[in-house]
Amino acid sequence: MMKEYFEELENGLQTAIDNNQGSIRMLYSLEIARLGKRLYSGEDKVAWCGIIAPFDLLSALDVTSCFVEFIGAMMAATNVAGDLIEETNHIGYSSDSCSYHRAVMGATMKELMPKPELLIGTTCPCSGGLAVIENLAAHFEKSFYLLQIPQDQAPKNVRYLADQMREMVSFVTKITGIPMDTEKVKFAMETSNKIREVLIEIFNLAKQVPSPVTGKDLSNFGIVMALFSGTESGLALAEAFRDELKQRSQNLTASGSNEKFRLLWIQNRIQFKNPIEKLLEDQYGAKIVIDELNDVTWGAVDPDDPYEGLASRAISIPFNGPAQNRVQHLQRLAEEYQVHGAINPCNWGCRQGTGSRGLIEASLKEIGVPVLNLEVDCIDHKKFTEGQFRTRVEAFMEMMDS
Amino acid sequence: MEQKKLIGYACAYTPLALIHAAGFTPYRILPDKDCPDQAGLILHDNLCPHVKRILDRAMDNQLPDLDGMVFMNSCDSMRRLADAWQQARPDIKMTLVDLPITSSDRDCAFFQGELQELSSTLEEWKGETLTPERLTGSIQIYNSLAENLEKLNTELQRGSTYNGAGLLQSTCLKASCTAPEEMVAEVESLIGSAGEEQQKDNSVPIYLFGNVLPDAEAFKMFAECGAGIVRDDLCTGSRLFAEVATRAEGLDDLLLDYAAGILNRQPCARTIVEAQPGKLAKDVIAGAKQYQVKGVIGYSLKFCDPYIARLPGIRAALKAEGIPFLMLEGDCTNRSIGQQKTRIEAFIEMLR
Ligand code: SF4
Ligand code: SF4
Repeated sequence: MMKEYFEELENGLQTAIDNNQGSIRMLYSLEIARLGKRLYSGEDKVAWCGIIAPFDLLSALDVTSCFVEFIGAMMAATNVAGDLIEETNHIGYSSDSCSYHRAVMGATMKELMPKPELLIGTTCPCSGGLAVIENLAAHFEKSFYLLQIPQDQAPKNVRYLADQMREMVSFVTKITGIPMDTEKVKFAMETSNKIREVLIEIFNLAKQVPSPVTGKDLSNFGIVMALFSGTESGLALAEAFRDELKQRSQNLTASGSNEKFRLLWIQNRIQFKNPIEKLLEDQYGAKIVIDELNDVTWGAVDPDDPYEGLASRAISIPFNGPAQNRVQHLQRLAEEYQVHGAINPCNWGCRQGTGSRGLIEASLKEIGVPVLNLEVDCIDHKKFTEGQFRTRVEAFMEMMDS
Repeated sequence: MEQKKLIGYACAYTPLALIHAAGFTPYRILPDKDCPDQAGLILHDNLCPHVKRILDRAMDNQLPDLDGMVFMNSCDSMRRLADAWQQARPDIKMTLVDLPITSSDRDCAFFQGELQELSSTLEEWKGETLTPERLTGSIQIYNSLAENLEKLNTELQRGSTYNGAGLLQSTCLKASCTAPEEMVAEVESLIGSAGEEQQKDNSVPIYLFGNVLPDAEAFKMFAECGAGIVRDDLCTGSRLFAEVATRAEGLDDLLLDYAAGILNRQPCARTIVEAQPGKLAKDVIAGAKQYQVKGVIGYSLKFCDPYIARLPGIRAALKAEGIPFLMLEGDCTNRSIGQQKTRIEAFIEMLR
């Protein structure tokens, strides 16, 4: 079922793009459809992973890898997550946990998760995500390797993680039977470095006032681009975004903009269809110009000896380490992007999203940025009450407008 | 005995002997005090009540005089507590010690480095310089304590003492906040007298596992319901004190042995053995079989991700083994466990 879904999606998008009706967002969806198709093809060697696994390295090892939460988000986008989440009630999976993970467990029970060849867990960003990887390993009776992400960039910490990544390579090649090709790894790292440069350009363009992005353009962008890192198609996608935004930026200078408010979105977007971006833009001239995870927090990786660089990249993710890291990162983004306000969905069950809510709100307030804390389940559309949601958003925007 | 300075802690993986060797008494901040609920000002309601109640205590000044607070990076909630602590009690120094999830040689070496850093931090907090002799001495004291608690447990398992599990639990809780030298003797005196009561106890043998249950009333209630807890696997119970074998003499190697000892002790849900995914379920079954119980009771706090995610697997594994299972959920208040009395009674009746 999922394989057909992704195939149809790919065909539909490709046709539209071929007919010159494609937007950059369509190109992005096309890449997602292709990844989905590979995951469900039954032909690729699939690895289910934690969110900050080194996807470029895995792809150089001929493994199609993906973080499990991606499936939760896909299920939400197609409005089936709610039913899958309900399914987990039957096995006693508490509703107090993150719905990304419950949706994944529900999909596993319904045999909608392709059987992986192996699994790579990561201790960051959350205890729940790691637990799901362990559960999937037990369910599919497949081996898993755990990457433990230390709290800061102390040299001993970087070494610890780099050594784990080296060992991970042996683990993967032993399971797949495909030896590591150093040239392939080198190429993947060089490509990741190029993508990194393009991402910086994209984010710099988004910073402009007025911004050439719409509220939807870069939704989930940073976190999903990690899945395409190290690949030529990922680089082409990033370049397409950059070129389009450059073009728009030139046009904007000429035509002006109706951008009135600039907003920062904290953590992940709401993954099912919802009216937020449209409501903000149409009614208030407010635009989400920056998402917390749309940033480059790491340096280039040495293509000839990538492990330390990859380790440092994983450690640099703002969700890692003390909340103070996240807070400082958000303050910096708020200032660089000159935002007027921030929205925190506080995904129910996420100890990252809700856990640091108070600290984030206080620190952004300190620099004059008000925060709207929502209480949404970003995956389960059945829990979404549009009326209440609208009222909260409207009250916030009116407060900013006054 | 001269009163030593106190270092607070909140997790069963804390290196108590190291803190003790630095000249402090480790003092567990239990989530058992009745404080106004203020943690919600900093932490969201859907965070584990263990950490929220500790923060409540901190915000309500219901703490002894602490020279510092040592947090372990055991789960998301603990990290959030460490974050919140800095805002709520900037007057009490704190440190967060990274804690590997597995226990390979590399993990033990990494954790050794963390312990080394902790000992420097403790020294900065006016503690004593760590020497092999001091650390060996402290490990030995804690090993004696663990040994005595194990003996007491064995004695209580004979079932001759009504609510023996409650006695063991309150002893563990006291030990978690008291200088170990005092406790070694205290537990020793209990060992001889534990069986003396010879009260008829026709309770049903039960294996209890879970996270934080620092509530003596809860154990009384288990006993009243006829549940004879013959073995607990709680982070506020027997898991806190376990013997650590050390052979080395030099400080570095000694720390490495100690690190390995901590990482290899009876695990809680946050710890993983990569080669055996879902091992926690197997551990619970092994415990239930070893102690020949008639049923298993699980107890978890709400919002505890490490347990939430493993419970379906544990439930399924127990079912497959035909071992009756009752799952209780609580929030660190007496009320929450009290409300479940009827369920416990019904479970025990079913097992008789
Ligand atoms: S929303 Fe939070 S708990 Fe869920 S996957 Fe993301 S970081 Fe983990
Ligand atoms: S009870 Fe669970 S969530 Fe709470 S501190 Fe312990 S392991 Fe973490």
